[in-house]
Amino acid sequence: MADDAPRGDDSFEGEEEIDETGYKSVKDAVLFAIDVSDSMLTPRPSSDPKKSVKESPASAALKSAYHLMQQRIISNPRDMIGVLLYGTQDSKFYNEDENSRGDLSYPHCYLFTDLDVPSADEVKGLRALAEDEGESRDILVPSKEPVSMANVLFCANQIFTSKAPNFTSRRLFIVTDNDNPHGENKSLRSAATVRAKDLYDLGVVIELFPISRPEYEFDTSKFYDDIIYKATPTDPDAPAYFQSERKVSTATGDGISLLNSLLSSVNSKSVPRRALFSNVTLELGPEFKISVNGYLLFKRQEPARSCYVWLGGEKPQIAKGVTTLTADDTARAVEKGEIRKAYKFGDEQISFTPEEQQSLRNFGDPVIRIIGFKPITALPFWANLKHPTFIYPSEETYIGSTRVFSALHQKLFKDSKMALVWFIARKNAAPVLAAMIAGPEKTDDQGTQKFPPGMWILPLPFADDVRQNPETSLNVAPEPLIDRMREVVQQLQLPKAVYDPTKYPNPSLQWHYRILQALALDEDLPEQPEDKTVPKYRQIDKRAGEYVLAWSDELESQYNKISAEAPKTSTLAKRGPRDRAAEEGASKPAKRVKAEAGFGGVEDEVRLQYEKGAISKLTLLVLKEFLVSHGRSTAGKKADLVERVEEFFEQK
Amino acid sequence: MIISYCKKLKYRKKIVLVTNGLGAADTEEVDQIAGKIKEENIDLVILGVDFDDPEFGFKEEDKEPQKAENEGVLRDLVEGCDGAYGTLEQAVSEMDIPRIKQVRPVPTFKGFLQLGNPEEYDTAARIPVERYFRTYPARPPPASSFALRSDIPPRGDEAESSGTVAPDGDVTGEGGPLTTVRHLRSYQISDESAPGGKRDVDREELAKGYEYGRTAVHISETDQNITTLETFAALELVGFIQSDQYDRYLHMSNASIIIAQRANDKAALALSSFIHALFELDCYAVARLVAKENKPPLMVLLAPSIEPDYECLLEVQLPFAEDVRTYRFPPLDKVVTVSGKVVTEHRNLPNDELCDAMSKYVDSMELVDKDENESVIREPIEALPIDESFSPVLHRIDSAIRYRAVHPNDPVPPASERLTKFSQPSEEVVKKSKKCLEKLKSAADVKKVPPKEKGRKRNREAEKPLSGLDVEALLHQEKRTKISPNNAIPEFKQSLSHAENIETINDAVKQMTVIIEDQIRHSLGDANYDRVVEGLGVMREELISYEEPASYNDFMRLLKEKLLREELGGDRRELWWLIRRSKLGLIDKTQSDRSEVTEEEAKKVGWFIPRLKMCADCFSSCPQSNFKKPL
Repeated sequence: MADDAPRGDDSFEGEEEIDETGYKSVKDAVLFAIDVSDSMLTPRPSSDPKKSVKESPASAALKSAYHLMQQRIISNPRDMIGVLLYGTQDSKFYNEDENSRGDLSYPHCYLFTDLDVPSADEVKGLRALAEDEGESRDILVPSKEPVSMANVLFCANQIFTSKAPNFTSRRLFIVTDNDNPHGENKSLRSAATVRAKDLYDLGVVIELFPISRPEYEFDTSKFYDDIIYKATPTDPDAPAYFQSERKVSTATGDGISLLNSLLSSVNSKSVPRRALFSNVTLELGPEFKISVNGYLLFKRQEPARSCYVWLGGEKPQIAKGVTTLTADDTARAVEKGEIRKAYKFGDEQISFTPEEQQSLRNFGDPVIRIIGFKPITALPFWANLKHPTFIYPSEETYIGSTRVFSALHQKLFKDSKMALVWFIARKNAAPVLAAMIAGPEKTDDQGTQKFPPGMWILPLPFADDVRQNPETSLNVAPEPLIDRMREVVQQLQLPKAVYDPTKYPNPSLQWHYRILQALALDEDLPEQPEDKTVPKYRQIDKRAGEYVLAWSDELESQYNKISAEAPKTSTLAKRGPRDRAAEEGASKPAKRVKAEAGFGGVEDEVRLQYEKGAISKLTLLVLKEFLVSHGRSTAGKKADLVERVEEFFEQK
Repeated sequence: MIISYCKKLKYRKKIVLVTNGLGAADTEEVDQIAGKIKEENIDLVILGVDFDDPEFGFKEEDKEPQKAENEGVLRDLVEGCDGAYGTLEQAVSEMDIPRIKQVRPVPTFKGFLQLGNPEEYDTAARIPVERYFRTYPARPPPASSFALRSDIPPRGDEAESSGTVAPDGDVTGEGGPLTTVRHLRSYQISDESAPGGKRDVDREELAKGYEYGRTAVHISETDQNITTLETFAALELVGFIQSDQYDRYLHMSNASIIIAQRANDKAALALSSFIHALFELDCYAVARLVAKENKPPLMVLLAPSIEPDYECLLEVQLPFAEDVRTYRFPPLDKVVTVSGKVVTEHRNLPNDELCDAMSKYVDSMELVDKDENESVIREPIEALPIDESFSPVLHRIDSAIRYRAVHPNDPVPPASERLTKFSQPSEEVVKKSKKCLEKLKSAADVKKVPPKEKGRKRNREAEKPLSGLDVEALLHQEKRTKISPNNAIPEFKQSLSHAENIETINDAVKQMTVIIEDQIRHSLGDANYDRVVEGLGVMREELISYEEPASYNDFMRLLKEKLLREELGGDRRELWWLIRRSKLGLIDKTQSDRSEVTEEEAKKVGWFIPRLKMCADCFSSCPQSNFKKPL
């Protein structure tokens, strides 16, 4: 059970995001408020010629909510999401509906999915609604009388207040095509603006997803400019950035396919910005400081760890592990404060008090201190240990930080320089020596920002972290061989000759959740994983095939030349028969694999024995080599290997 | 002894002989000893007290003849078996240089670098390669957990009870003997019928599973690997990119190297042609690496590395789509206003003077490698000081352990200067750039925000919606006088912002107090705790910014008292713990100038609730008591 015991020792080394916000929990809650009206329910033709199906904005919105829900279960498993429909004939709010006694608090608001971490049933329900199945038809019926926006906003207020208190980020996504819900009715308008102010004061951010109607452009100045605030109260530095995004989404109604643009627009807003550290000092020189915030823009996403599920009840339940610490001598429970840390030194345990232990790791307050500059070429490719930290100026501690940072950014970028910095990210974090480089803003074809402008801190390895290269013999390839290979490389450039991470979803992560989703939602298990990281074999063959063959021939002739020159005994005599066999097999590495003998020697031999049903007659060595060459594991006993080889042929 | 102990195993054998060289020695068999040492592959190091060592520059005058003779003999011995010889002085002076632990290279992948699919296409190529770490974070030694012994048992069973503690009870530190700590793991499920809403379940009743949102998905024993993606080991080329288009910050991991399978000349030749081709075309390769069967695939970047005596591919991991977070930030070289206008002169943008000063300063801080020996023509070295930088935490802990082992009762000495060498710019650089820095400072005109203003509402205009509509006026029309419990936070904020006198503020605080206490009183278990904490957090923030810390502090003291007396719906100690953890205690002087509470005092109030219920009463009578939570 050691695997699920908490890893105590490493805990303060961990580079996880530390809660910086004091009393708030670092979580995000998103509530969709989707307008249900006749025009929202009317299917519209999509301009995408590939899709002839008409789709209504409401269903597009529900689908994107559904996709977002699925996506966030993977990417932010602790974050909440909910769906509120408004303008519906029916009403539903917690325990209230038409049948309950007394007045409805929020008429024509239908809380379809309560704000919470979604459950499988809720995902299923939303999918049914989005795909317009069964009972959902009865829900998506517009009401005869108009809904009060003040009510909708206050309804959202109540949902956030009760379900997501204390979250660092709470957002209301309003999807509508009605840019003026209350016309000239002053009292309704002002009631709505007051309720919007309440939400603002509560720390809820309203994000608008306006949908233009055919022949009619959505005009935010009619109503929504009174509802939406520029800066979020939780993040005063947030720029007025949704400007450009809004333009993108306005185009939806009559231009691009509704669903896609809405989804990508939702996607780009789906992650709230979370600082890794805030207002850390960037020290440019003695007594010259500015303040910056740090963010993690790259973080390896791993599948969630497995947990224990209790099956004794009606529904499977997750069992929470609780660790108690006990002293070995008396088996009494030990409190955290009593724990002493001790190190093994020879046979002895050397212990320190908790204060001493802390002080050993303390190298001063958090800081990014520039100790000099270097050309960026001084930074070797291999001098890396982990993902970078992104920093952006903050005016909160030092006024003028932004302009100084900007000047430094421009200078470093223009002259291709880097700063060498001493970097302590948090109190008691291990100090590192790091390279600080300037990154320019990068945008995609539509002008949406892909990488923000700012500085990147790349932690450098210490001398202790650098490993020695293993010994190997140097065999420099002769020019003709390099020439052949160059032709191969030239054929296979990636689009635009850059690596675009967004094109490569993590296949094992996707598969993990795809299967979980299928199990949770009672879907059929998918047969083939979609893996975009697999090279495009057909293209490689088509584009580079003949060049590879040319290179392969060249390699053969160059190798023959070299081995003819070299005195044979010197290399081979030293090795035992084992090594020679390996050499024999491996020495035809780069050949037309099927056609060529040599490597295929093992291949054919194994195949022959398989057809005879006598794989077990082969030696362990041959089996291992065969498995390695097909990327299979070679662990285990001979029987395991035989089984694996047989499996290999059976799958063919 | 070494021979019989280590046998022929792969130990690194080393004899360190420390001597003053004054005794008489039998010199007859020195040759044989040297031979044996060489045969057994033992490193011999001889350290002599005051031995002559021209390399270190030491010579002892008036050496005794016996010593001189012994020195000669020992030197011969060392030379006879390729050992090291030196004076003790040198060894002592080298102690300060942190030792770097060498790790034997172990391949992390052995397989093929493939282009195309050999199972399907005849044009596929593959080169047998091996992968080794180039960098890997060295970690400080792990510590294990111990607890102080509650009673010191007789010697006899101590050795039995825990093998890890030294048998003679000589575990150091001023705390006295320690005992190991065990982790006991139990599993709980929520069960409303059970007391406390939770009950323990047996490990046997549990199955493996995963969370999908709020739902538990259980996976039966036979399907164990159902969520694992089936993969086969290989390093497969995906495509090539231009190295100058690559953003260095995409590096996600430590670096590895890829070399051809060892003792395979043909593979080396093939890989070499690949390395050179990449180099000549200024390309990097993007590849998909599966290190072992059924391990998750990784996207990696391969770069050529060509040195006179070593060629290899360097490899780092690249991010996947899921690993990228799209946080947006405004541009740094222009300001876009809300109305969409682009401004190039702004207080957040540097003017030409600042840019110029910055440029000069950066140039003056350029780290130039010292080239002491100018007669030797060297490539301009632009290397980073990686070789001279040592992991501060690792070596600090290492040396502290060594020190404590020898001096169990002394305080640990501070970190050696060598470890913090790079924590400050060198004096030389500072001196050189001083003038430029002064200019830069005056051009930048950076001002520290006075601490008082930090919490204050920054810009009032931000509280207007995009249209600039005056919502305040509308709120006035609404005449919200009473804070309603279901919209407490917004209304509390609004009534404060309207407040014209202290009475209004006090009244708002009073109303808020009632609301929060009600929430506590009616909380089923911890159901309302998050709301309470949010309410307290808002009150605290607002009252700091309105410079009324005293009202918060008074309220807090009272609340604590009520909690202790269990007046708010029973035992609420968990809530207090939450409040403490959320740092919602008294507002002290560092947080607000107006506060009369010192940091110390605030801390004490935080530690109010004793773990045992024993003296809840005595507390309520003396809220300022000095009781500290026992450690």
